[in-house]
Amino acid sequence: MSIGVLLGILLSVVLVNNLVLAGFLGICPFLGVSRKVGMAFGMGCAVTFVITVSGVVTWLIVHAVLMPIGDYFGRPDMLYFLKYVAFIMVIASMVQLVEMYLKKFSPPLYTAFGVFLPLITTNCAILGACLYIDMKSETQNLLNAAVYALGGGIGFTLAITIMAGIREHIQFSDVPKCLRGAGITLLVAGILAMAFTGFTGIGK
Amino acid sequence: MTVALAAIILFGLVLVFAGLLGVAKEKLRVDEDPRIGEVTEVLPAANCGGCGFAGCADFAKAVVEKRAQCDGCPVGGSRIAEKIAGVLGVEVVKTFPYRPVIHCTAKDYQKLGRVPYDGVRGCVEANLLGVTQACTYGCLGLGDCVRSCTFDALHMVDGVPVVDYDKCTGCGACTKVCPRNLIERIPFRQERMLVVGCANKEPAKAVREVCKVGCIGCKLCQRLCADMFQVSDNLAWLNYDNYADEEDENLQQVLQKCPAEVLVYFGKPKPEYAQQLAAEAHDEELVETAAP
Repeated sequence: MSIGVLLGILLSVVLVNNLVLAGFLGICPFLGVSRKVGMAFGMGCAVTFVITVSGVVTWLIVHAVLMPIGDYFGRPDMLYFLKYVAFIMVIASMVQLVEMYLKKFSPPLYTAFGVFLPLITTNCAILGACLYIDMKSETQNLLNAAVYALGGGIGFTLAITIMAGIREHIQFSDVPKCLRGAGITLLVAGILAMAFTGFTGIGK
Repeated sequence: MTVALAAIILFGLVLVFAGLLGVAKEKLRVDEDPRIGEVTEVLPAANCGGCGFAGCADFAKAVVEKRAQCDGCPVGGSRIAEKIAGVLGVEVVKTFPYRPVIHCTAKDYQKLGRVPYDGVRGCVEANLLGVTQACTYGCLGLGDCVRSCTFDALHMVDGVPVVDYDKCTGCGACTKVCPRNLIERIPFRQERMLVVGCANKEPAKAVREVCKVGCIGCKLCQRLCADMFQVSDNLAWLNYDNYADEEDENLQQVLQKCPAEVLVYFGKPKPEYAQQLAAEAHDEELVETAAP
């Protein structure tokens, strides 16, 4: 395994197969918390942490718990149905951890997130990344899985921060009355997603 | 077999994560004001957001940090307010609703120097022209405030707006829209409140030239009842912090002697307005019953 493979995985998930802009996952916080760059970046960091830890822990659960036990009974996929509920549990615990950490060390960020912090639990980008790791052939070892998860988080942070930057500018522009608010935001999201298709072809 | 295995595995995982979170909770504990929890327990726990905060816990925090009043919970009412005050060891301060009053009571026939106006039907536009009536302070009577009211609580009667205090919520939309700033919100300590129904700051002679009922700034009210009335810029104004009882002797004298008859009660509808409003309502009912 070389650095090149890891870099390929990273670039692929950050730019080419960005979870938000190419996979349409995690749209809720992408639109909900992208009003200010600072808040969006904080949200991105929280999601990156949760996604990375969850990616690693869920990989461990699949490869160190579910698969060996299945192998022991001669049917490797016997316990695969457990992965969804186990994944959700891992993600929920990690979110709780982040929440406690933020409440202790960064109360302003904690109040700024409000309800969106517990909502990371149901951020489909995180569950999506965990399930992709389980599905893809190149993430079947721990290091690759960790890099993929980290890349997913970075990709999310990138997308939401760009979105917040654009939305901060839109505040001062003359948007047609019928498009103000959600309308222009969704249009911007669509154009941003189209722009990201320009990365297709890089890496894998 | 599989079911039992699944249950065991999940139980094990749950134990691991519960232990992890338990440790984290101890390590990362934040010392909160214990009163926040106590206030939260007193609240209805409906998390309706009617108080303007994100939920009951958020409101409790705001109350403890003195960013909100004890009686801020619209669902709980005074009972909950007293409980919260008990937790915090403070007294409940009785507040009064703020309702609009109009500082011009001159009816169409009392305003002088009016000219027929066929322009845009709006006070802002007529105010820009400035020639539709002689008094440059008084109500133009074109009803911007009536149109701004979303609760149907304002009606034009004889060229001045009349507030229907049963419907009014005190939102303040009318106070913002009046181009002559004639509408003010005052604390309604009683059912009806005394108001100086004039905003004209010109000397007595100029006022008499433009209006039959305007305040002439004679200072009689200030002499008889100095706590409550003050005259500045040829105009009397009422100090609502020292609002006297209706039966107050000095106040009675002021009401009897005021030469301009510009002191009026707002609140309970005056008999003639009440009759007119009732007649309108009756008409509407007739229309409604006739329509289908």
